[in-house]
Amino acid sequence: MRKMLVLAALMASVTGLSRAARAAGWNMPVGVTEVSRDVYGLHMVIFWICVIIGVIVFGIMFYSLFRYRRSKGAQAAHFHEHTTVEVFWTAIPLLILVAMAIPATATLKDMYDASEAELDVMVTGHQWRWHYHYMGEDITFFSNLDTPREQIDGTAEKGENYLLEVDQPLVLPVGRKVRLLMTSSDVIHSWWVPDLAVKKDAVPGFVNEAWTRIDEPGIYRGQCAELCGKDHAFMPVVVQAMEQEAFDTWLAERKQEAAAAASGVDREWKLEELVERGEKVYGSICASCHQADGQGTPPTFPALAGNQAMMDDLDWHIDVVVNGVSGSAMAAFSGTLNPVDLAAVITYERNAWGNETGDVVQPAEIQALIDP
Amino acid sequence: MWEVVKSVLSAFFGVQREQRRRRDFEQGKPGTFIVVGIVLAMLMVIVVMAIAIMAAG
Amino acid sequence: MAPNLPPKAPLEHSQSVAGSPAAHEEEHHYRSGPLRWLLTTNHKEIGTLYLIFSLSMFLIGGVMALVVRLELFQPGLQMVQPEFFNQMTTMHGLIMVFGAVMPAFVGLANWMVPLQIGAPDMALPRLNNFSFWLLPIAFTLLLATLLMPGGGPNFGWTFYAPLSTTYAPPSTTFFIFALHMAGISSILGAINIIATILNLRAPGMRLMDMTLFVWTWLITAFLLIAVMPVLAGVITMMLLDINFGTSFFNAAGGGDPVLFQHLFWFFGHPEVYIMILPAFGIVSVIVPTFARKRLFGYASMVYATASIAILSFLVWAHHMFAVGLPLVAELFFMYTTMLIAVPTGVKVFNWITTLFRGSITFETPMLFALAFIVLFTIGGFSGLMLAIAPADFQYHDTYFVVAHFHYVLVPGAVFSIMAAVYYWLPKWTGHYPDERIGRWHFWLSVIGVNLLFFPMHFAGLAGMPRRIPDYALQFADFNMASSIGGFLFGFSQLLFVWVIVKCVRGGAKAPAKAWEGASDLEWTLPSPAPLHTFETPPDLRGFKFH
Repeated sequence: MRKMLVLAALMASVTGLSRAARAAGWNMPVGVTEVSRDVYGLHMVIFWICVIIGVIVFGIMFYSLFRYRRSKGAQAAHFHEHTTVEVFWTAIPLLILVAMAIPATATLKDMYDASEAELDVMVTGHQWRWHYHYMGEDITFFSNLDTPREQIDGTAEKGENYLLEVDQPLVLPVGRKVRLLMTSSDVIHSWWVPDLAVKKDAVPGFVNEAWTRIDEPGIYRGQCAELCGKDHAFMPVVVQAMEQEAFDTWLAERKQEAAAAASGVDREWKLEELVERGEKVYGSICASCHQADGQGTPPTFPALAGNQAMMDDLDWHIDVVVNGVSGSAMAAFSGTLNPVDLAAVITYERNAWGNETGDVVQPAEIQALIDP
Repeated sequence: MWEVVKSVLSAFFGVQREQRRRRDFEQGKPGTFIVVGIVLAMLMVIVVMAIAIMAAG
Repeated sequence: MAPNLPPKAPLEHSQSVAGSPAAHEEEHHYRSGPLRWLLTTNHKEIGTLYLIFSLSMFLIGGVMALVVRLELFQPGLQMVQPEFFNQMTTMHGLIMVFGAVMPAFVGLANWMVPLQIGAPDMALPRLNNFSFWLLPIAFTLLLATLLMPGGGPNFGWTFYAPLSTTYAPPSTTFFIFALHMAGISSILGAINIIATILNLRAPGMRLMDMTLFVWTWLITAFLLIAVMPVLAGVITMMLLDINFGTSFFNAAGGGDPVLFQHLFWFFGHPEVYIMILPAFGIVSVIVPTFARKRLFGYASMVYATASIAILSFLVWAHHMFAVGLPLVAELFFMYTTMLIAVPTGVKVFNWITTLFRGSITFETPMLFALAFIVLFTIGGFSGLMLAIAPADFQYHDTYFVVAHFHYVLVPGAVFSIMAAVYYWLPKWTGHYPDERIGRWHFWLSVIGVNLLFFPMHFAGLAGMPRRIPDYALQFADFNMASSIGGFLFGFSQLLFVWVIVKCVRGGAKAPAKAWEGASDLEWTLPSPAPLHTFETPPDLRGFKFH
């Protein structure tokens, strides 16, 4: 009876300990989906199995080290094999592993069953930002790191969500099964939100599938998990889960904004207008490689400031931005930027940092190029 | 032959009686053990694969 | 230990050969000065060259790790820019794997395999010389890429395409060439070791009479020959993609980036065992010596090594659980990965049973071997956790993985190498290593290594991805602890260098059998072992092995 009590107290203190560890951010988060709770459960079971085996094995080891010290006059025994014991300690781990494999298989099958999703979101990894496309809703946007450069360089106080904040989070409804389709436009990225227990590689040329059903509204933060180049640390994932109604409202607003942003393809734009808009696009999309001052980081990312080849050949410049350069790090932007943004950024590049070509590229020209 | 299979299987498991090991090493030919080992290793792959396919069912 | 002494005849015989005028005449053929080291075909000298090379690479790779730890001491970018940080993590990994751990084991094999099987030298001495000298060239080239325009490799030691092809710096072609050379060196070294073990054992020594160190190296050598060509193939495909316009891994040209990972890990997982099997062998030799008791379950140790080697070819995709494999593949690789825990567990149980009812002393080599058993097992536990595929989705590519493989590689493989150096230094130099500095080195290393790697488990579980130069604030404490541990561990290795230098220069004289409980063949030779040993093979019929 006393032994039972001691055992119970031990278990209680141990579970208390693991709860405290979780609260302090020392353990895997339990998360906010059924799958994430299953995964947490598997994690804790295998962890405690390891702890128990460890206590037994290391216990015997340290007992032996202490008890059979030569300095205490220990004499070596002569046994060196024992078939029964060996069979026993080979079979026991095997049984533990089989017992472990069964629930793991069940959870894995669940994670792989993305059927009957109510909402599909295409997630595309770019160097170094995520792009979301709500399939069938015609809503697309980039999600960029929103932490100011000064905080990274240490000239400003770091905020609470340092490096885990974005300009536009992925907004998802709670209680609905959302299928995430992952791909990449350049190198391999990996989309990871610990609270959802979703981590899936975004591989160029492949579309991977994952799914989630979030239980509670809230903001869940993660980041790219696969080394994807110099700004790998600076492409967080933020998911904002909201109730269905709020989500519907958000969806409607986004549609209106998108329509407004894409409008104006047909009208004649002035140089100043395009340069102003282009500067913003450049800052959020192009500057991570070609730098804010247009100097690039040669030889991988060429300088744009003073780039004579670019200034001399307008058609080539447009082609590079719209269609990318095969076999290089330059991606095609026709699928991810609208014609107005494309025209604006090309115009900006031709008229910034002392590139005084005076060229104006009209959105209509780009539109004709993409969609003849 | 069955003795060889038994010996290889116990090698897979990692435990073998000393007399049997001695007998294998003194009387057996390495070639048979290697061939049986390869065949059984492939068989093991097939069995694990079958279990995986069934589990994924 | 008297019953374990060999018959007198071979002992006297080898000594008399070493001291005979004939041997002196032989030595006159050697050049003096640097050319001697360049042209040597003696297994002991080449072994020494390998070990010195490996130690210098260990220090260079260590400095790179310290750059990484320095940047990660605090959140924010302080010391280096992300471009350089990525080059440091990549180079650190490449240098430690291919330049430090592997050559150290080859060096130990060069020195000890002939001595433990009673062979006069390696079977192919000139090849031996060639396979060593490829290494300094390969690594000079690899290090030189840091100075090239665009910098050195910055895509991680796993160099996943297309980051390492389409998006790689121009120096990548040199990186491929360097890796090719290191690979050729490994293959030639492995051929040499197999030829030596299978052909040059002294009369009377059967395979099951060999020490575990020789056994594990025999199996490791087969692994090397099996997988090094796969690495050569995959980097050649990279070379073609980069320079000749092919599209093996370029999705835009119809290629497949996931194919790269399959090929890489088909090499990479056996490679992991290449770095740990010889460590098992070393520990299996050291523990019985200082427990003064025969190794428990010798045969099952050999079988377990073979099982691990075979299974290592069947588990590669557990490094790719998040890449989008089909469900059946995930299950297959999860099951096989869990299976591999069984033979690994058997090894640990056998070591501990060897200790049980022994007569144990704690000299420096034993301390390192015991730390190996405990800390490698901790790495094994996290490996078991990583095998559970659904949980791996949370662990994958985080610091949890970094903690796992550093536990098996640093207090695992590296500690075993240190144990081996302390254990065999008396045989190499004729002097005992300084026990006091050795103990300081050991305790500082153990404390440093745990402070360095244990908090990484927590950082990973809390959500910190690997290979990032800057991180969110909740990971700050773990990283600060890791960095302090890293510097402690790093600087305590200077003590290791000191012990070695001191031991080479002098110290307490070691007898032929430097450790009381030692029973293998090398301890029948005088200390230091003369340049030529076992020129006439000892007759071991009737020798009582292990």
